[in-house]
Amino acid sequence: MTTAGPIGPPPKVDPLSDQYEHGRDVLGVETGLDSVDLVELDENTMELNMGPQHPSTHGVLRLVLNLDGEIVRECRPDIGYLHTGFEKDFERHTYQQCIPYTDRMDYLSPLFNNLGFSLAAEKLLDIEVPPRGQYLRVILCELTRIASHLLWYGTSALDLGATSPFLYAWRDREKLLDINELVSGVRMHTSFIRVGGLLADVPDDFNELIIEVLATFPRLIDEHELLITKNPIWRERTIGLGTLTPEDAMSYGATGPVLRGSGIPYDLRKAQPYSSYDHFDFDVPIGAHGDVYDRYLVRMQEMRESLRIIEQAFNNLPDGPVNTSDRRVALPSRNELNTSMESLIYHFKLVTEGFRPPRGQVYSAVESPRGELGFYMVSDGSNRPYRCKVRAPSFSNLSALPHMVRHELIADVVAVIGSIDIILGDVDR
Amino acid sequence: MIGRRAADLLQRELPGAVLRSADAYGEQTVWISRERLVEACTLLRDHEEGRYTVPQFVTAVDWPDREPEEPRFDVVYQLRSLHYNDWCRLIVQVTEDDPTVPTLERVFAGMDWLEREMWDLLGVKAEGHHDLQRLLMPVDWDGHPLRKDYVSFGEPVAFTHNIEWALPEAERPPILPGESR
Repeated sequence: MTTAGPIGPPPKVDPLSDQYEHGRDVLGVETGLDSVDLVELDENTMELNMGPQHPSTHGVLRLVLNLDGEIVRECRPDIGYLHTGFEKDFERHTYQQCIPYTDRMDYLSPLFNNLGFSLAAEKLLDIEVPPRGQYLRVILCELTRIASHLLWYGTSALDLGATSPFLYAWRDREKLLDINELVSGVRMHTSFIRVGGLLADVPDDFNELIIEVLATFPRLIDEHELLITKNPIWRERTIGLGTLTPEDAMSYGATGPVLRGSGIPYDLRKAQPYSSYDHFDFDVPIGAHGDVYDRYLVRMQEMRESLRIIEQAFNNLPDGPVNTSDRRVALPSRNELNTSMESLIYHFKLVTEGFRPPRGQVYSAVESPRGELGFYMVSDGSNRPYRCKVRAPSFSNLSALPHMVRHELIADVVAVIGSIDIILGDVDR
Repeated sequence: MIGRRAADLLQRELPGAVLRSADAYGEQTVWISRERLVEACTLLRDHEEGRYTVPQFVTAVDWPDREPEEPRFDVVYQLRSLHYNDWCRLIVQVTEDDPTVPTLERVFAGMDWLEREMWDLLGVKAEGHHDLQRLLMPVDWDGHPLRKDYVSFGEPVAFTHNIEWALPEAERPPILPGESR
């Protein structure tokens, strides 16, 4: 170790000059940095950390950007800050106990996660939910889709500096969360959809709220569109940015509005209908150029289509039970519990031990607001999933980000992240 | 039947690659030999009658209790064909001693992250991957959490159903209940 010269500011050594030694600080003291792999930098590039605590990364996403001036040469996303091990948790819980965990993956559209998990388990058990249950599932899911798209609309406009859309979006989303609160008592993590049906039938006040939503929301969505669709700044910032060709979108496994923005009309609700979606008439909006603006247009149009689905489902809502009567899953009724000892025992066993689907493997997918949300479930015949892999739409969509932001300006990276609509809970699980 | 198209295509074009094929729950599953996986996936992607152009997911299922001669891991690939509105499931079995599969990142761009996730959580290596690092767990993490022999929390407490944990270490049975969760 050399002595540290006279007291005063250390002599400045240009890090790019020949005199600069890596692994020693300016006073010549060993810093141990030799063991760190130093990135080869040339004079024009710079490594920039964006996140994990960055307001525009929608949670905890870290991007390592290699910049040439303001141009992004390379982008390396670093994910996993929100990894919670839900797939491991599934293996330790009975099927019904897994439902609250699914809520917390894609926390802005919890009902889709419930539905995906329930459909996979119901496929293993070969159970069909009664029509009323299916229709109510559709209504609640589509309401969630609007709520999720509204939040996306508000925050992605906020990323680009437009504050008012955020406030309007929040005002309207509130009404949809009120419906959640009415039917389940909880605003976000409702766990309302269970294996075999729903937690309960909806209360009488439900009709009033739905009628109000159907009456007011078309006008409210017009209001949102009025704010930014033709706004010159918004158009300037988004048109032609983050373009994804149909071939690239497919190769990255992108789904949902990202895939449809690139012009591929693939929607699981149409292509492989589940939960009675084939009973309803709706269109699949697509974009033409695959840029940020097209994804915006697709989502705005999807909200209107969701309203159409809700209206049809609500007007044709059948009567009857919401839960399956299959005794492998269905709890005995209150009346039976009062009169039959065996029913009481069975009720207790079903709650504590759960049901046991036969051995096998199934895959079941739903079209969540972000794309194809799939559950690959393996059963070994016990009362817990042996393995449950979640095919998260945000994960595959985000993996296309480096491709989309290459050679774009750094200020546009936030616009592209916003347009993918990632939920880090869904990416990391 | 979902996946029948892919199974028929592989049987016809690459008969040696298909080890067996089974259907259950309306889904066809095809077991592929590891050596010919890249060939099979390229065929499914490019063939006019397949067009399985979208990688859905990749994962592995750990079966430690299988017979010793049977491979421990099932590596599951699912590909989607938008053109024919179909998806298919391919399974490659790999052993505990050599848990590697050939990488598919040059077939599908999205396989990059999917294979990293599989290596991270299950310890099945994608050979030839350009940057096989941990993705979800911290880089210095030990072990692969989704393996069945990975204990997910500290020392279990002995109750009546796992009283063996209360025995002195020398007297404990070799495999304890609750050790693999």
